[in-house]
Amino acid sequence: MTFSMKRSMAILYKDYKDVSKNLYVSTTVFLPLVMAAIYGRMGIEAIDAHYMVINMIFSLVAAYVQCSLIAEEKEKNTLRGLMLSPASTLEILFGKSLLSFISTIAVIIIAAFLTGYNPDNVIIVGMAIILSAVFYIGIGTLLGLLTKSVMEASVVILPIMMIFSFGSFLTPFIEKYPVLIFIEYLPNLQLIDLANQVEAGAGLSDVWSHLAAIIVWTAAVFALVVAVYKKRMMD
Amino acid sequence: MENIIEVKSLAKYFSDQPALENVSFNVKKGETFGFLGPSGSGKTTTIKILTAQLAQTDGEALVFGVNASNLKKEEYRKKIGILTDNSGLYSRLTIYDNLKLYCDLYDVPDKRIDEVLGMVNLIDDKKKAVSKLSKGMTQRVTLARAFLHQPELLFLDEPTSALDPVNTKHIYKGLKDLKEKGTTIFLTTHDMNEAETLCDRVAFLNNGAIQLLDSPKALRRKFADHTLTVELTDGSKVIVDKGPGGAQTVYDYMSGNKIVSIYSNEPTLGDIFVEVTGRKLA
Repeated sequence: MTFSMKRSMAILYKDYKDVSKNLYVSTTVFLPLVMAAIYGRMGIEAIDAHYMVINMIFSLVAAYVQCSLIAEEKEKNTLRGLMLSPASTLEILFGKSLLSFISTIAVIIIAAFLTGYNPDNVIIVGMAIILSAVFYIGIGTLLGLLTKSVMEASVVILPIMMIFSFGSFLTPFIEKYPVLIFIEYLPNLQLIDLANQVEAGAGLSDVWSHLAAIIVWTAAVFALVVAVYKKRMMD
Repeated sequence: MENIIEVKSLAKYFSDQPALENVSFNVKKGETFGFLGPSGSGKTTTIKILTAQLAQTDGEALVFGVNASNLKKEEYRKKIGILTDNSGLYSRLTIYDNLKLYCDLYDVPDKRIDEVLGMVNLIDDKKKAVSKLSKGMTQRVTLARAFLHQPELLFLDEPTSALDPVNTKHIYKGLKDLKEKGTTIFLTTHDMNEAETLCDRVAFLNNGAIQLLDSPKALRRKFADHTLTVELTDGSKVIVDKGPGGAQTVYDYMSGNKIVSIYSNEPTLGDIFVEVTGRKLA
């Protein structure tokens, strides 16, 4: 199977033009930056606080923007046009994810600058952030494919935002309710643990389990995305 | 002649409700084939099965000699153009940007955009956002998108349903040009004039089954009542048989210089459809 970068880039270019005229989605990108600017003025130092902003960016920019882009394609029957074109599943999903991915990474870099977050090991943290961005884009794609309209997508994404932006608030309940142990393995908490360990001087060999956990989550979500996408190709 | 589409005993059920039952037909290379029937008769369901958007319950549907469900491969997608009632366009983008995306997806040079916009009479509007277009203009953009990659096989589901007569004529000319270049066209419509103008053969679909299949000319001949109408100078009309008895009557009127016009009483495709199915087309 061949992969055409030209087709994926055409979808990215189309999404860029479309989103630039869509205030509803494009303004969403700026919300976490406002929060980052406020946190920056407050002078936060705790890693958990930096990652509250970063996880919010994942939820709002990676997951929500991606979910809206896919849901709108479905709502307006444009996704079917892409599916009936020569573009493969991989080319379409890659092309449809590029705008959310680039926006997410760009917003995280700006937010980190605003909050003053400067990780001790940029390569490890960068890898974890890129993997997490892919995971959240997968979540957004999945929810976009499962919903019928942008309005429905806006509602469905709310619990995801709650769990992944504020999931760390649930960790104190794990001792009381052992059933919540899975929370420790959520990719947002894995990312925070990894960042804390990196700040304590840990190297790649110390944090590989966190990266592996995020990779497993990402692979699982994308397996679901491909299955649902293939189902959506047929009425 | 080579068959581009071969359908054998095709059936589709939605929750035990039949949408298509035992439908069989072939479409030859270069032919314009009309699939005619009222709303809900199964026309769109057939197109969806033939373009791998829907799986049949039973029977066989071959396109380019392969099972329709295998048409998702790039080589087949490039050979097929589709216009359906839900062919969405990006409303915030211009006509040009919509077509540019599909040029890139189909590996078609950008100069083709002006060619297809000329075919649908929209060359001066290419910088307009799709959201600003009338329903008819939007329909023409979706048609332009279906023609864009010069497909070998074109599926058109009610292609002129939202168009005014001037633009309809423009589209007919474009479709005839495509046919001359060898494009096979599978057209669904409930417009009998459209079918007569464009189609080499037509199939009448009613309640999910094909009732008749032949060329429009052959169908009209088959259902003709073999009479002539003679319009006389006094304004009256006389119906005469096409046989020897009628010849004498016509001769008598001609001798008396009383005839204004004579025409054969052939039914329209609409008349034939109503006669065969008992249903009107709408």
